[in-house]
Amino acid sequence: MATPAFTFTPSTFQKLHPAEFFRRFTTEGVRPDGRLLDAFRPTTVHHGVISTANSSAMVRIGGTTVVCGVKAEVAEPKLDAPDQGYLVPNVELSPMCSSKFRPGPPSEQAQAVSEAINRVLKESKVLDLKDLCIEEGKAVWVLYVDAVCVAYDGNIFDAALAAIMAALKNVRIRKPTYQEGTIKVSGGSTATDENSFTLNLARAPLSATFAIFDTTLTILADPNVTEESISDGQISITLDETGLLCGVTKIGAASCSQSVMRDCVQSAKKRTLQLRAIMSQQ
Amino acid sequence: MSRAELLSPEGLRIDGRRPAELRKITSTTCVLSQADGSAYLEHGNTKVLAAVYGPREARHRALVLHDRAILNVELNVAPFSTGERRRRSKNDKRLLEMASFVKQTFEPVVIATLYPRSQIDIYLQVIQHDGGTLQACINATTMALIDAGIAMTDYVCACTAGWVEREAAIDLNYIEESSDTSEVTIAMLPKSSKITLTQMESRLHVDKLEEVFRLAGEGCKQMYEVMDKTIRDRAEDLARKMAV
Repeated sequence: MATPAFTFTPSTFQKLHPAEFFRRFTTEGVRPDGRLLDAFRPTTVHHGVISTANSSAMVRIGGTTVVCGVKAEVAEPKLDAPDQGYLVPNVELSPMCSSKFRPGPPSEQAQAVSEAINRVLKESKVLDLKDLCIEEGKAVWVLYVDAVCVAYDGNIFDAALAAIMAALKNVRIRKPTYQEGTIKVSGGSTATDENSFTLNLARAPLSATFAIFDTTLTILADPNVTEESISDGQISITLDETGLLCGVTKIGAASCSQSVMRDCVQSAKKRTLQLRAIMSQQ
Repeated sequence: MSRAELLSPEGLRIDGRRPAELRKITSTTCVLSQADGSAYLEHGNTKVLAAVYGPREARHRALVLHDRAILNVELNVAPFSTGERRRRSKNDKRLLEMASFVKQTFEPVVIATLYPRSQIDIYLQVIQHDGGTLQACINATTMALIDAGIAMTDYVCACTAGWVEREAAIDLNYIEESSDTSEVTIAMLPKSSKITLTQMESRLHVDKLEEVFRLAGEGCKQMYEVMDKTIRDRAEDLARKMAV
Protein backbone atom coordinates (compact mmCIF):
# COMPACT_ATOMS: atom_id res chain seq x y z
CA MET A 1 0.00 0.00 0.00
CA ALA A 2 1.49 3.29 -1.09
CA THR A 3 2.03 5.86 1.63
CA PRO A 4 -0.20 8.88 1.09
CA ALA A 5 1.60 11.90 -0.29
CA PHE A 6 1.21 15.23 1.45
CA THR A 7 0.38 18.15 -0.77
CA PHE A 8 0.19 21.74 0.37
CA THR A 9 -1.00 24.95 -1.12
CA PRO A 10 1.94 27.32 -1.64
CA SER A 11 0.88 29.59 1.24
CA THR A 12 0.67 26.67 3.68
CA PHE A 13 4.02 25.40 2.51
CA GLN A 14 5.50 28.84 3.05
CA LYS A 15 4.30 28.87 6.63
CA LEU A 16 5.48 25.35 7.45
CA HIS A 17 8.86 25.36 5.73
CA PRO A 18 9.81 28.96 4.95
CA ALA A 19 13.43 28.18 4.12
CA GLU A 20 12.58 25.27 1.83
CA PHE A 21 9.87 27.30 0.11
CA PHE A 22 12.41 30.01 -0.52
CA ARG A 23 14.99 27.57 -1.84
CA ARG A 24 12.57 26.41 -4.55
CA PHE A 25 12.74 29.92 -5.95
CA THR A 26 16.42 30.70 -5.51
CA THR A 27 17.49 27.53 -7.31
CA GLU A 28 15.71 28.98 -10.37
CA GLY A 29 17.45 32.31 -9.85
CA VAL A 30 14.43 34.33 -8.70
CA ARG A 31 12.73 35.29 -5.47
CA PRO A 32 9.06 34.95 -4.43
CA ASP A 33 8.37 38.62 -5.19
CA GLY A 34 9.62 38.12 -8.76
CA ARG A 35 12.97 39.89 -8.42
CA LEU A 36 16.29 38.48 -9.60
CA LEU A 37 18.74 37.63 -6.85
CA ASP A 38 20.79 40.79 -7.36
CA ALA A 39 17.95 43.22 -8.04
CA PHE A 40 17.14 46.13 -5.74
CA ARG A 41 13.57 47.24 -5.26
CA PRO A 42 12.26 50.44 -6.92
CA THR A 43 13.42 53.44 -4.93
CA THR A 44 11.99 56.94 -4.76
CA VAL A 45 13.34 60.00 -2.95
CA HIS A 46 11.37 63.15 -2.14
CA HIS A 47 13.02 66.29 -0.75
CA GLY A 48 11.57 68.98 1.43
CA VAL A 49 8.46 67.16 2.63
CA ILE A 50 8.33 68.89 6.00
CA SER A 51 8.38 72.67 6.12
CA THR A 52 8.84 72.97 9.90
CA ALA A 53 12.19 71.19 9.72
CA ASN A 54 15.46 72.77 8.55
CA SER A 55 15.61 70.02 5.95
CA SER A 56 13.71 66.84 5.25
CA ALA A 57 13.44 63.91 2.92
CA MET A 58 11.34 60.82 2.40
CA VAL A 59 12.78 57.64 0.92
CA ARG A 60 10.87 54.57 -0.26
CA ILE A 61 12.73 51.36 -1.03
CA GLY A 62 10.04 48.92 -2.09
CA GLY A 63 7.63 48.84 0.85
CA THR A 64 10.03 50.37 3.38
CA THR A 65 9.32 54.07 3.88
CA VAL A 66 11.45 56.39 6.02
CA VAL A 67 10.77 60.07 6.69
CA CYS A 68 13.73 62.09 7.92
CA GLY A 69 13.73 65.60 9.40
CA VAL A 70 16.71 67.71 10.43
CA LYS A 71 16.36 70.37 13.09
CA ALA A 72 19.14 72.70 14.13
CA GLU A 73 19.38 73.99 17.68
CA VAL A 74 21.86 76.04 19.58
CA ALA A 75 23.72 74.28 22.36
CA GLU A 76 26.98 74.35 24.30
CA PRO A 77 29.81 72.53 22.55
CA LYS A 78 31.31 69.34 23.88
CA LEU A 79 34.29 69.90 26.17
CA ASP A 80 36.79 68.14 23.95
CA ALA A 81 35.73 69.98 20.77
CA PRO A 82 34.87 73.58 21.65
CA ASP A 83 34.88 74.81 18.05
CA GLN A 84 32.73 72.07 16.57
CA GLY A 85 29.04 71.39 16.46
CA TYR A 86 27.69 67.85 16.40
CA LEU A 87 25.12 65.56 14.82
CA VAL A 88 22.61 63.50 16.74
CA PRO A 89 21.09 60.87 14.44
CA ASN A 90 18.22 58.70 15.59
CA VAL A 91 16.20 56.02 13.84
CA GLU A 92 12.71 55.29 15.17
CA LEU A 93 11.05 51.96 14.57
CA SER A 94 7.60 52.30 16.06
CA PRO A 95 4.80 49.70 16.16
CA MET A 96 3.20 51.68 13.34
CA CYS A 97 5.68 50.49 10.76
CA SER A 98 5.25 46.78 11.34
CA SER A 99 3.57 44.31 13.65
CA LYS A 100 7.04 43.05 14.57
CA PHE A 101 7.69 46.03 16.82
CA ARG A 102 6.15 46.45 20.22
CA PRO A 103 5.36 49.74 21.91
CA GLY A 104 7.86 50.89 24.48
CA PRO A 105 11.49 52.02 24.59
CA PRO A 106 13.55 51.73 21.38
CA SER A 107 14.12 48.10 20.45
CA GLU A 108 17.56 46.56 20.05
CA GLN A 109 17.25 46.78 16.29
CA ALA A 110 16.40 50.49 16.37
CA GLN A 111 19.32 51.23 18.64
CA ALA A 112 21.69 49.15 16.54
CA VAL A 113 20.67 50.89 13.31
CA SER A 114 20.92 54.32 14.98
CA GLU A 115 24.40 53.52 16.23
CA ALA A 116 25.51 52.14 12.85
CA ILE A 117 24.38 55.32 11.11
CA ASN A 118 25.99 57.46 13.79
CA ARG A 119 29.26 55.67 13.14
CA VAL A 120 29.04 56.17 9.38
CA LEU A 121 28.32 59.89 9.79
CA LYS A 122 31.11 60.40 12.30
CA GLU A 123 33.87 58.31 10.78
CA SER A 124 33.20 59.44 7.22
CA LYS A 125 33.29 63.06 8.35
CA VAL A 126 30.17 63.82 6.40
CA LEU A 127 30.08 67.43 7.52
CA ASP A 128 32.86 69.75 8.52
CA LEU A 129 31.71 70.23 12.09
CA LYS A 130 33.58 73.52 12.32
CA ASP A 131 30.92 74.95 10.00
CA LEU A 132 28.48 74.49 12.85
CA CYS A 133 30.39 76.68 15.27
CA ILE A 134 28.77 79.95 16.34
CA GLU A 135 31.09 81.11 19.08
CA GLU A 136 33.97 78.93 20.13
CA GLY A 137 33.52 77.43 23.54
CA LYS A 138 30.14 79.06 24.04
CA ALA A 139 27.61 78.08 21.38
CA VAL A 140 27.44 75.69 18.47
CA TRP A 141 24.72 74.25 16.26
CA VAL A 142 23.46 70.79 17.05
CA LEU A 143 21.76 68.97 14.19
CA TYR A 144 19.13 66.56 15.38
CA VAL A 145 18.57 64.12 12.54
CA ASP A 146 15.43 62.06 13.19
CA ALA A 147 14.55 59.28 10.78
CA VAL A 148 11.08 57.89 11.42
CA CYS A 149 10.22 54.61 9.75
CA VAL A 150 6.53 54.58 8.81
CA ALA A 151 6.47 51.28 6.94
CA TYR A 152 8.97 48.47 7.47
CA ASP A 153 9.56 45.91 4.71
CA GLY A 154 13.19 45.05 5.35
CA ASN A 155 16.48 46.83 4.73
CA ILE A 156 15.98 49.69 7.16
CA PHE A 157 19.69 50.56 7.12
CA ASP A 158 19.80 51.49 3.43
CA ALA A 159 16.53 53.40 3.59
CA ALA A 160 17.43 55.30 6.75
CA LEU A 161 20.90 56.23 5.54
CA ALA A 162 19.55 57.36 2.16
CA ALA A 163 16.87 59.47 3.86
CA ILE A 164 19.41 61.02 6.22
CA MET A 165 21.86 61.85 3.44
CA ALA A 166 19.09 63.28 1.26
CA ALA A 167 17.98 65.47 4.16
CA LEU A 168 21.54 66.57 5.02
CA LYS A 169 22.20 67.58 1.43
CA ASN A 170 20.50 70.93 1.74
CA VAL A 171 20.19 71.97 5.36
CA ARG A 172 19.40 75.64 5.62
CA ILE A 173 20.23 77.24 8.96
CA ARG A 174 19.38 80.77 9.97
CA LYS A 175 22.33 82.98 10.78
CA PRO A 176 22.30 83.77 14.46
CA THR A 177 22.76 87.33 15.70
CA TYR A 178 24.77 88.22 18.78
CA GLN A 179 23.27 90.52 21.35
CA GLU A 180 25.06 91.23 24.63
CA GLY A 181 26.38 87.76 25.10
CA THR A 182 23.21 85.96 24.04
CA ILE A 183 22.55 84.30 20.73
CA LYS A 184 19.35 85.20 18.97
CA VAL A 185 17.93 83.19 16.12
CA SER A 186 15.14 84.77 14.14
CA GLY A 187 12.25 82.52 13.30
CA GLY A 188 9.87 84.78 11.52
CA SER A 189 10.37 85.51 7.85
CA THR A 190 11.22 82.99 5.19
CA ALA A 191 14.84 81.91 4.92
CA THR A 192 16.74 83.84 2.27
CA ASP A 193 20.36 83.87 1.29
CA GLU A 194 20.97 86.84 3.57
CA ASN A 195 19.60 85.53 6.82
CA SER A 196 20.55 81.87 6.41
CA PHE A 197 23.31 79.67 5.09
CA THR A 198 23.34 76.20 3.52
CA LEU A 199 25.57 73.48 4.86
CA ASN A 200 27.93 71.75 2.46
CA LEU A 201 28.31 68.03 2.67
CA ALA A 202 31.93 66.93 2.58
CA ARG A 203 31.05 63.36 1.73
CA ALA A 204 27.80 61.55 0.96
CA PRO A 205 28.05 57.87 1.87
CA LEU A 206 25.27 55.55 0.71
CA SER A 207 24.87 51.86 1.39
CA ALA A 208 23.76 48.60 -0.14
CA THR A 209 22.68 45.66 2.01
CA PHE A 210 22.65 41.99 1.09
CA ALA A 211 21.23 38.97 2.91
CA ILE A 212 23.05 35.65 3.01
CA PHE A 213 20.94 32.56 2.59
CA ASP A 214 23.31 29.93 3.82
CA THR A 215 22.43 26.50 2.54
CA THR A 216 23.27 27.37 -1.02
CA LEU A 217 25.29 30.46 -0.07
CA THR A 218 22.95 32.63 -2.07
CA ILE A 219 23.37 36.37 -1.81
CA LEU A 220 20.15 38.36 -2.01
CA ALA A 221 20.30 42.06 -2.65
CA ASP A 222 17.95 44.36 -0.68
CA PRO A 223 16.13 41.76 1.45
CA ASN A 224 12.49 42.38 2.29
CA VAL A 225 11.06 41.50 5.68
CA THR A 226 10.32 37.83 4.89
CA GLU A 227 13.78 37.33 3.42
CA GLU A 228 15.37 38.97 6.47
CA SER A 229 13.62 36.61 8.82
CA ILE A 230 14.91 33.49 7.10
CA SER A 231 18.38 34.78 6.23
CA ASP A 232 21.46 33.60 8.07
CA GLY A 233 23.50 36.72 7.80
CA GLN A 234 23.73 40.19 6.32
CA ILE A 235 26.39 42.19 4.52
CA SER A 236 26.24 45.98 4.33
CA ILE A 237 28.63 47.96 2.14
CA THR A 238 28.82 51.74 2.42
CA LEU A 239 30.51 53.80 -0.31
CA ASP A 240 30.94 57.53 -0.79
CA GLU A 241 30.50 59.50 -4.02
CA THR A 242 34.10 58.93 -5.14
CA GLY A 243 33.75 55.17 -4.85
CA LEU A 244 35.76 54.89 -1.65
CA LEU A 245 34.61 52.39 0.92
CA CYS A 246 33.24 54.02 4.07
CA GLY A 247 32.11 50.93 5.87
CA VAL A 248 31.74 47.20 5.59
CA THR A 249 29.61 45.17 7.99
CA LYS A 250 29.01 41.48 7.94
CA ILE A 251 26.91 39.92 10.65
CA GLY A 252 25.35 36.52 11.16
CA ALA A 253 26.25 32.89 11.35
CA ALA A 254 26.98 32.29 7.69
CA SER A 255 30.57 32.56 6.58
CA CYS A 256 31.30 33.82 3.12
CA SER A 257 34.36 33.71 0.91
CA GLN A 258 36.40 36.65 -0.32
CA SER A 259 34.96 36.38 -3.82
CA VAL A 260 31.48 36.80 -2.40
CA MET A 261 32.63 39.96 -0.62
CA ARG A 262 34.15 41.28 -3.81
CA ASP A 263 30.94 40.62 -5.74
CA CYS A 264 28.99 42.45 -3.06
CA VAL A 265 31.28 45.47 -3.28
CA GLN A 266 30.88 45.59 -7.07
CA SER A 267 27.12 45.30 -6.79
CA ALA A 268 27.14 48.00 -4.09
CA LYS A 269 29.12 50.33 -6.38
CA LYS A 270 26.46 50.01 -9.08
CA ARG A 271 23.63 50.41 -6.61
CA THR A 272 25.01 53.55 -4.97
CA LEU A 273 25.53 55.17 -8.38
CA GLN A 274 21.92 54.41 -9.18
CA LEU A 275 20.81 55.84 -5.83
CA ARG A 276 22.76 59.06 -6.35
CA ALA A 277 21.14 59.49 -9.75
CA ILE A 278 17.70 59.08 -8.18
CA MET A 279 18.53 61.50 -5.38
CA SER A 280 19.78 64.23 -7.69
CA GLN A 281 16.77 63.92 -9.98
CA GLN A 282 14.16 65.00 -7.47
CA MET B 1 6.01 92.41 21.30
CA SER B 2 3.14 93.40 19.05
CA ARG B 3 0.49 90.82 18.45
CA ALA B 4 -0.19 90.15 14.81
CA GLU B 5 -3.68 91.01 13.68
CA LEU B 6 -5.61 87.78 13.53
CA LEU B 7 -8.52 89.20 11.59
CA SER B 8 -7.94 91.98 9.10
CA PRO B 9 -10.45 94.83 8.69
CA GLU B 10 -11.70 93.14 5.51
CA GLY B 11 -12.46 89.97 7.46
CA LEU B 12 -9.49 87.90 6.25
CA ARG B 13 -7.51 85.74 8.63
CA ILE B 14 -3.78 85.66 9.06
CA ASP B 15 -3.33 83.14 6.23
CA GLY B 16 -5.78 84.85 3.89
CA ARG B 17 -8.78 82.64 4.56
CA ARG B 18 -12.31 83.70 5.33
CA PRO B 19 -13.55 82.75 8.80
CA ALA B 20 -15.74 79.87 7.61
CA GLU B 21 -13.17 78.47 5.20
CA LEU B 22 -11.25 75.24 5.76
CA ARG B 23 -7.60 74.86 4.86
CA LYS B 24 -6.57 72.91 1.82
CA ILE B 25 -7.17 69.22 2.54
CA THR B 26 -5.18 66.44 0.90
CA SER B 27 -6.07 62.87 1.74
CA THR B 28 -4.92 59.47 0.50
CA THR B 29 -5.60 55.99 1.77
CA CYS B 30 -3.54 52.82 1.56
CA VAL B 31 -0.19 54.57 1.80
CA LEU B 32 1.66 52.08 4.02
CA SER B 33 2.69 48.63 2.88
CA GLN B 34 2.57 46.82 6.23
CA ALA B 35 -0.54 48.13 7.95
CA ASP B 36 -3.97 46.64 7.35
CA GLY B 37 -5.32 50.10 6.72
CA SER B 38 -3.62 53.45 6.46
CA ALA B 39 -4.36 57.04 5.58
CA TYR B 40 -2.42 60.25 5.11
CA LEU B 41 -4.18 63.53 5.75
CA GLU B 42 -3.09 67.15 5.36
CA HIS B 43 -5.01 70.10 6.78
CA GLY B 44 -2.98 72.88 5.28
CA ASN B 45 0.42 72.39 6.92
CA THR B 46 -0.69 69.87 9.53
CA LYS B 47 0.29 66.43 8.28
CA VAL B 48 -0.83 63.23 9.98
CA LEU B 49 -0.30 59.59 9.10
CA ALA B 50 -2.62 56.92 10.52
CA ALA B 51 -2.03 53.16 10.48
CA VAL B 52 -4.53 50.53 11.59
CA TYR B 53 -3.57 46.98 12.47
CA GLY B 54 -6.38 44.62 13.22
CA PRO B 55 -8.47 42.99 14.21
CA ARG B 56 -5.61 40.90 15.49
CA GLU B 57 -4.69 38.88 18.53
CA ALA B 58 -4.61 40.99 21.66
CA ARG B 59 -1.24 41.68 23.22
CA HIS B 60 -2.34 41.34 26.84
CA ARG B 61 -4.63 38.43 27.50
CA ALA B 62 -5.91 40.07 30.65
CA LEU B 63 -7.47 42.96 28.74
CA VAL B 64 -9.32 40.82 26.23
CA LEU B 65 -13.12 41.11 26.16
CA HIS B 66 -15.06 37.97 25.32
CA ASP B 67 -17.72 39.67 23.23
CA ARG B 68 -16.03 42.61 21.54
CA ALA B 69 -12.75 43.98 20.27
CA ILE B 70 -10.64 46.42 22.27
CA LEU B 71 -9.31 49.58 20.71
CA ASN B 72 -5.80 50.77 21.34
CA VAL B 73 -4.63 54.16 20.14
CA GLU B 74 -1.05 55.43 20.18
CA LEU B 75 -0.13 58.91 19.22
CA ASN B 76 3.42 59.78 18.24
CA VAL B 77 4.56 63.30 17.47
CA ALA B 78 7.74 63.40 15.41
CA PRO B 79 10.52 65.54 16.91
CA PHE B 80 10.79 67.61 13.74
CA SER B 81 7.10 68.33 13.51
CA THR B 82 6.90 71.51 15.54
CA GLY B 83 8.66 74.85 15.33
CA GLU B 84 11.21 73.95 17.97
CA ARG B 85 12.39 70.41 18.26
CA ARG B 86 10.72 68.80 21.18
CA ARG B 87 11.45 65.24 22.00
CA ARG B 88 8.15 64.16 23.56
CA SER B 89 8.43 61.01 25.57
CA LYS B 90 5.92 58.26 24.91
CA ASN B 91 4.31 58.83 28.30
CA ASP B 92 3.80 62.54 27.84
CA LYS B 93 0.46 63.31 29.46
CA ARG B 94 -0.73 65.56 26.67
CA LEU B 95 -0.18 62.87 24.06
CA LEU B 96 -1.78 60.20 26.21
CA GLU B 97 -4.78 62.45 26.74
CA MET B 98 -5.17 63.08 23.03
CA ALA B 99 -4.83 59.38 22.28
CA SER B 100 -7.52 58.60 24.81
CA PHE B 101 -9.78 61.21 23.17
CA VAL B 102 -9.38 59.48 19.85
CA LYS B 103 -10.06 56.12 21.46
CA GLN B 104 -13.20 57.32 23.20
CA THR B 105 -14.40 58.97 20.00
CA PHE B 106 -14.23 55.72 18.06
CA GLU B 107 -15.36 53.26 20.70
CA PRO B 108 -19.08 53.88 20.13
CA VAL B 109 -18.68 54.06 16.36
CA VAL B 110 -16.66 50.94 15.58
CA ILE B 111 -18.91 47.87 15.60
CA ALA B 112 -16.59 46.03 17.97
CA THR B 113 -19.02 43.19 18.66
CA LEU B 114 -18.16 41.78 15.24
CA TYR B 115 -14.61 41.04 16.35
CA PRO B 116 -14.69 39.41 19.79
CA ARG B 117 -11.50 38.61 21.70
CA SER B 118 -9.36 40.71 19.39
CA GLN B 119 -7.59 44.04 19.39
CA ILE B 120 -7.64 46.88 16.91
CA ASP B 121 -4.47 48.99 17.05
CA ILE B 122 -4.50 52.54 15.73
CA TYR B 123 -1.14 54.27 15.38
CA LEU B 124 -1.01 57.97 14.63
CA GLN B 125 2.12 59.81 13.57
CA VAL B 126 2.07 63.60 13.46
CA ILE B 127 4.64 64.56 10.84
CA GLN B 128 4.06 68.28 10.80
CA HIS B 129 2.15 70.35 13.31
CA ASP B 130 0.39 73.58 12.37
CA GLY B 131 -2.72 73.58 14.54
CA GLY B 132 -5.68 71.22 14.57
CA THR B 133 -3.79 68.08 15.49
CA LEU B 134 -6.72 66.38 17.20
CA GLN B 135 -9.08 67.02 14.31
CA ALA B 136 -6.52 65.73 11.80
CA CYS B 137 -5.90 62.63 13.93
CA ILE B 138 -9.60 61.81 14.13
CA ASN B 139 -10.16 62.33 10.41
CA ALA B 140 -7.12 60.28 9.47
CA THR B 141 -8.24 57.50 11.83
CA THR B 142 -11.66 57.36 10.19
CA MET B 143 -10.13 56.90 6.77
CA ALA B 144 -7.60 54.37 7.96
CA LEU B 145 -10.29 52.30 9.68
CA ILE B 146 -12.36 52.32 6.50
CA ASP B 147 -9.28 51.36 4.51
CA ALA B 148 -8.73 48.44 6.89
CA GLY B 149 -12.28 47.26 6.30
CA ILE B 150 -13.33 47.58 9.93
CA ALA B 151 -17.08 47.97 10.34
CA MET B 152 -18.27 51.35 11.62
CA THR B 153 -21.73 52.84 11.98
CA ASP B 154 -20.75 56.09 10.28
CA TYR B 155 -17.79 58.31 9.38
CA VAL B 156 -16.38 60.44 12.18
CA CYS B 157 -15.53 63.91 10.95
CA ALA B 158 -13.81 66.41 13.20
CA CYS B 159 -13.30 70.13 12.97
CA THR B 160 -11.91 72.83 15.20
CA ALA B 161 -13.72 76.12 15.63
CA GLY B 162 -13.12 79.16 17.71
CA TRP B 163 -13.73 82.83 18.24
CA VAL B 164 -11.08 84.85 16.41
CA GLU B 165 -11.28 88.50 17.51
CA ARG B 166 -14.82 89.31 16.49
CA GLU B 167 -15.99 86.37 14.43
CA ALA B 168 -16.41 82.64 14.73
CA ALA B 169 -13.90 80.77 12.56
CA ILE B 170 -13.16 77.13 11.76
CA ASP B 171 -9.96 75.13 11.25
CA LEU B 172 -7.60 77.25 13.31
CA ASN B 173 -3.92 77.15 12.50
CA TYR B 174 -1.05 77.17 14.99
CA ILE B 175 -0.76 80.93 15.28
CA GLU B 176 -4.49 81.33 15.93
CA GLU B 177 -4.48 78.46 18.43
CA SER B 178 -1.57 79.73 20.45
CA SER B 179 -2.88 83.26 20.81
CA ASP B 180 -5.80 84.28 22.96
CA THR B 181 -8.54 82.70 20.88
CA SER B 182 -10.83 80.10 22.37
CA GLU B 183 -10.83 76.86 20.50
CA VAL B 184 -13.19 73.89 20.50
CA THR B 185 -12.75 70.58 18.69
CA ILE B 186 -15.88 68.75 17.65
CA ALA B 187 -16.21 65.27 16.18
CA MET B 188 -19.49 64.49 14.48
CA LEU B 189 -21.25 61.61 12.76
CA PRO B 190 -22.39 63.30 9.54
CA LYS B 191 -25.45 61.17 8.75
CA SER B 192 -27.16 61.67 12.08
CA SER B 193 -25.40 64.94 13.00
CA LYS B 194 -24.62 63.42 16.39
CA ILE B 195 -21.57 64.68 18.21
CA THR B 196 -19.19 62.07 19.64
CA LEU B 197 -16.49 64.38 20.99
CA THR B 198 -16.35 67.93 22.24
CA GLN B 199 -13.16 69.31 23.65
CA MET B 200 -12.48 72.84 24.76
CA GLU B 201 -9.97 74.19 27.22
CA SER B 202 -10.22 77.92 26.84
CA ARG B 203 -12.89 80.40 27.87
CA LEU B 204 -15.79 81.15 25.60
CA HIS B 205 -18.82 83.29 26.29
CA VAL B 206 -22.03 81.30 26.47
CA ASP B 207 -23.71 83.56 23.90
CA LYS B 208 -21.05 82.78 21.34
CA LEU B 209 -21.17 79.05 21.95
CA GLU B 210 -24.06 78.29 19.64
CA GLU B 211 -22.54 80.14 16.70
CA VAL B 212 -19.19 78.39 17.16
CA PHE B 213 -20.86 74.98 17.40
CA ARG B 214 -22.97 75.59 14.34
CA LEU B 215 -19.96 76.63 12.31
CA ALA B 216 -18.01 73.61 13.52
CA GLY B 217 -20.89 71.36 12.46
CA GLU B 218 -20.75 72.85 8.98
CA GLY B 219 -17.01 72.37 8.91
CA CYS B 220 -17.49 68.70 9.78
CA LYS B 221 -19.96 68.30 6.92
CA GLN B 222 -17.43 69.80 4.54
CA MET B 223 -14.78 67.40 5.86
CA TYR B 224 -17.20 64.53 5.25
CA GLU B 225 -17.57 65.51 1.59
CA VAL B 226 -13.82 65.49 1.09
CA MET B 227 -13.20 62.23 2.95
CA ASP B 228 -16.09 60.44 1.29
CA LYS B 229 -14.87 61.44 -2.15
CA THR B 230 -11.39 60.08 -1.44
CA ILE B 231 -12.77 56.78 -0.17
CA ARG B 232 -15.17 56.36 -3.08
CA ASP B 233 -12.53 57.18 -5.68
CA ARG B 234 -10.22 54.61 -4.18
CA ALA B 235 -13.00 51.99 -4.02
CA GLU B 236 -13.88 52.61 -7.66
CA ASP B 237 -10.24 52.33 -8.58
CA LEU B 238 -9.93 48.98 -6.78
CA ALA B 239 -13.17 47.67 -8.25
CA ARG B 240 -11.97 48.53 -11.73
CA LYS B 241 -8.66 46.77 -11.17
CA MET B 242 -10.33 43.68 -9.75
CA ALA B 243 -12.80 43.44 -12.58
CA VAL B 244 -10.04 43.10 -15.16
